Amino acid sequence: MAGSTGAGEEALRRLMSTNQPSFLAPNPALSETARAASRHLFSALRPFCPKSPLDQLLVDGFDAEQIWQQIDLQSQPLLSSLRRQVKHFAKNPKEISQLKVVPLGKKVEKEQEEWMEESDGFDEELEDDEEGEEKGEEYGMEIEEEDGDQGGESGSEEESEEEDEEEKGEDGEGGGGGIEDKFLKIDELTKYLEKEEENFENAERDMRGKKDADDEEDTEDEDDHDDEEEEESDEDAEFGFGDEDEEAEDMENARYEDFFGAKKGKYSKKKKAQLHQDSESSDDEDDDMEFKKQNKGTASTHQKQLEKIQSKIEQMEKANLEPKTWTMQGEVTAAKRPKNSALEVDLDFEHNVRPAPVITEEVTASIEDMIKKRITEGHFNDVQRAPKLPSKVPREVKELDDNKSKQGLAEIYEQEYVQKEDPTSAPLSFKDEQKQQASVLFKKLGLKLDALAHFSFAPKPVIEDMSVQINVPALAMEEIAPVAVSDAAMLAPEEVFDGKGDIKEETELTKEERKRRRANKKRKFKAAGVKRTGKKMQEGALPNQVNG
Amino acid sequence: MLRRNIRMRREYLYRKSLEGKERLLYEKKRKIREALQEGKPIPTELRNEEAALRREIDLEDENTAVPRSHIDDEYAHAAEKDPKILLTTSRDPSAPLQQFVKELSFVFPNAQRMNRGGQVISEIIESCRAHDYTDVVLVHEHRGVPDGLIVSHLPYGPTAYFGLLNVVTRHEIKDRKAIGTMPEAYPHLIFDNFSTKLGERTANILKYLFPVPKPDTKRIVTFSNQSDYVSFRHHIYEKHGGPKSIELKEIGPRFELRLYQIKLGTVDQAEAQIEWVIRPYMNTSKKRKFLSD
Repeated sequence: MAGSTGAGEEALRRLMSTNQPSFLAPNPALSETARAASRHLFSALRPFCPKSPLDQLLVDGFDAEQIWQQIDLQSQPLLSSLRRQVKHFAKNPKEISQLKVVPLGKKVEKEQEEWMEESDGFDEELEDDEEGEEKGEEYGMEIEEEDGDQGGESGSEEESEEEDEEEKGEDGEGGGGGIEDKFLKIDELTKYLEKEEENFENAERDMRGKKDADDEEDTEDEDDHDDEEEEESDEDAEFGFGDEDEEAEDMENARYEDFFGAKKGKYSKKKKAQLHQDSESSDDEDDDMEFKKQNKGTASTHQKQLEKIQSKIEQMEKANLEPKTWTMQGEVTAAKRPKNSALEVDLDFEHNVRPAPVITEEVTASIEDMIKKRITEGHFNDVQRAPKLPSKVPREVKELDDNKSKQGLAEIYEQEYVQKEDPTSAPLSFKDEQKQQASVLFKKLGLKLDALAHFSFAPKPVIEDMSVQINVPALAMEEIAPVAVSDAAMLAPEEVFDGKGDIKEETELTKEERKRRRANKKRKFKAAGVKRTGKKMQEGALPNQVNG
Repeated sequence: MLRRNIRMRREYLYRKSLEGKERLLYEKKRKIREALQEGKPIPTELRNEEAALRREIDLEDENTAVPRSHIDDEYAHAAEKDPKILLTTSRDPSAPLQQFVKELSFVFPNAQRMNRGGQVISEIIESCRAHDYTDVVLVHEHRGVPDGLIVSHLPYGPTAYFGLLNVVTRHEIKDRKAIGTMPEAYPHLIFDNFSTKLGERTANILKYLFPVPKPDTKRIVTFSNQSDYVSFRHHIYEKHGGPKSIELKEIGPRFELRLYQIKLGTVDQAEAQIEWVIRPYMNTSKKRKFLSD
């Protein structure tokens, strides 16, 4: 700590010794010294600020704005406490003389002597409250400037200012010495100050670190520091260690009720470090509440219940006397109720219509499923083209053949004669002939194409024409047959045979059957003979009779 | 032209009036046919007319066997020709309604959109009949939201009045690229859950707004009935891969239709006979369904 302080003081000294114009140009070495100096000052002031968040001024890598902010952070509460201190001293100048001085060596005592001299001197000079206050205010303002500039790089200029201010400040503090009224009693003050000094001494020994008092050039600084420190230490004593001291509390929290008769409550005295008017007012309220509770406590529970019921009855009677709300009034038209009031009330009536469907994801999904199913089936309800009804019967178109007739006229007559005789042998009409030719040709063509086109081609089965062979001699009918074949061979055996029943061979016949056969033959012959003679008799019977 | 119209209307009404007698005749023929098939004796009341009726039965073909009603008459020739539709709005339409009507003109193939201007409905119908239109569709709105659809079949055909709900138009969909352009192929139709007679009638009215499609089109228009609310959907499908994978992409507007009236005349005939009208104030109307079972 000593080394750093030594370096810091060294930095300060260097700053002081530099020329003013050199601050105008940016100089890295100078800025380094300035930073070191400000760090030193910061850490020196640190013990006096109870609420300082920073233990040390962080200068490495921070720019001017940030360093300034850190210093500001520490100095703002410091400023307010200093101002308060100054005001306090402005009112009670005698206290200054009794301020406990830090035991830093002879210089401190020297200062104390100085102060005593000055304070005595000034007591006589300045007796007006106002002057003292003015000075105090001046001092306060100067202190502001002083603290404001402390973090800057032009520290050397201010140190001399600080010195001057300190002296002025001392003047101010000493200026209010002659005032005394019923609040301020000098004896009480002295007693209080002595007590405070004792406390302070103990505290200071714990808090104070070792300070290097050998540096002459730092005496000025130390003067400044000490002054501030003392004031601050006073503060500390008040804030940090005066809590248990009720008197100190009272002095600080002095309010109207302390002097001119307290009100009923006793809370205000017990509250700690509350300087605001709000707390005062809340104290008053608390006092009132206490009183009321005491009153109620006297009534019994039955009385309480009765009171409740009474209040309810009053409410209901009042409601009955007033006109009812429109919802309770039976038939109400729109004119009789406030605008849009029907929208807020939950009206109850039946809807006879099914409500409109809300289209949710599920509904859409189900519809789409149905569509997909229909698509896969291919089942659509499309419009079908109706088959057109035949409006007219297609007319028979008569075709005339305009080629020259191939048959001569005699042949035509011949055909007509044959037609007349034998109606079966009608020649095919021209149309049918053509048709038949066409169909035969096409069949052949089709067969060939099928044979070419089909993988598995089965030729058309040949249908045999059934035609009856007539047992007619060859001359009557021209047949395309080989010459060697006779008529007999053309006919099938059943066509040749004209018998009935079961035919037996000569050898197969039995004796009875032979006899029977002969008898049948004889009978037939006799019958035939009779017939012959009958015929002969008819024709000419005389020749037979003559002979026989 | 006027006289022709009057004559045709009179013919139509006359045929409608004959329907009762036609039905009786049909019933008698049917009884005789049944008796002959089953070998039972002919019922006694038909004995006198039996011979004449038998002859007629013999001469019947499939067209004359079924009794025809005026309902069939209205759409008799609808299947032979492609429909021609005229789309208009109520008077002074708002911009969203105009957009919706434009979309509908793409949904129905062979549809023509016309500005309403200050035309009277009877004028519109007259000119449509003269120009051989088969249907007229009017769209109504409420403050920009389409809420009514009137489909009128033209040569004295039926008029169906629908209310529109839950309308989502193509213009409302922000991502234009995703939805793409509207295809104009003739679509396949799907009518789901129209099981009662009235349901069939409604399905017919909506069906004959579309022409005969090619069997391989990818565009599908669906009318799906759920408790008297008909959902209209318009999709395009794609078959990726073999195993029955179908991907549906929804295009076109979607809305719910609610039928509230069918009249047996065109829109301009206010005195036409009402075939069916909704009865919402009947106590049991909540439980009853008219388009399905």
